[in-house]
Amino acid sequence: MSFTDQITRAAAGVPKIAVGVLLGILVLGVFVMGFDQGQLFSVAQGEQAYEDMWMHEFYHDMRHAAGFACH
Amino acid sequence: MKALTFIAITLLSGLVAGTVLGLVNQGVVEPYLSAAIDLENQAATAEGEIINPSEFATYRIWQRSGSIAAGAVLGMSLGALFGIVFAYGRNALPGSTNLQKALALAGIMWLALYLVPALKYPANPPAVGDPETIYLRQGLYIAIIAISGFAALALGIAYKKMPVKSRRFLAPAIYTATVAAAFFALPANPDAVNAPADLVGAFRIASGATMTMFWLVLGTVLGALWDRTKPHEAARIKAL
Repeated sequence: MSFTDQITRAAAGVPKIAVGVLLGILVLGVFVMGFDQGQLFSVAQGEQAYEDMWMHEFYHDMRHAAGFACH
Repeated sequence: MKALTFIAITLLSGLVAGTVLGLVNQGVVEPYLSAAIDLENQAATAEGEIINPSEFATYRIWQRSGSIAAGAVLGMSLGALFGIVFAYGRNALPGSTNLQKALALAGIMWLALYLVPALKYPANPPAVGDPETIYLRQGLYIAIIAISGFAALALGIAYKKMPVKSRRFLAPAIYTATVAAAFFALPANPDAVNAPADLVGAFRIASGATMTMFWLVLGTVLGALWDRTKPHEAARIKAL
């Protein structure tokens, strides 16, 4: 009986840990690729990061192509 | 559900779809980006800025390679969201195979997260866009995606509780009304589109075509991988 219970419960749920990992990837990935204007590298680079905007420049073409705000 | 298989096939399908997007864009969208960047450079040169052609060419090669990396990152990010929604919504989606279900969901997410936001705030090539308004434009773009996306999600969850006879019309009607209200309430893109209209138009069609392809590939690959690995059945197989 407990055997059946275990099967049902395990098969029905979406693992929370997997959802957490994937949500983290979603937020970080979309921010870095689509929105960063120097914030990420400013942690190490300071104010200079907002001048260089490496992430903006590196992901520049896809930002335009995928419809993100750019320039 | 086998968590590792679920994460692996979700990220793999996003990686494949995003890398294909980056590679296809090299041929389909890049010509318009290059044309727009040439216009930008002409304007800058006319204002007295000195641009070294060979340095700039090297820079553009680096930037174009970034487009493929960006495709991979964007693909895994949107793929992660797609996988989560698919895992929760699989049983409610139409279709008899996971491939059909994934394609149905890809169509819905393409509409809610790409097409509708793009109709309000269409993509612009380089040469359009004022750096001073970047944060406002980013905020507006997130706002329309969030409104459209959460409206679609809420209706998807509420669908089963709606009256059976009318829900096929009721759900799209509520979604359309919500989005129409958002289109009306949110301000227009503040920047003037001062690039040639035929260039901007052709760029938008190319961009829309490859983004549509991205969602199609994403749905196809995740659906096919899901049918093959069946992560939701893993627990039962193990128990037997």
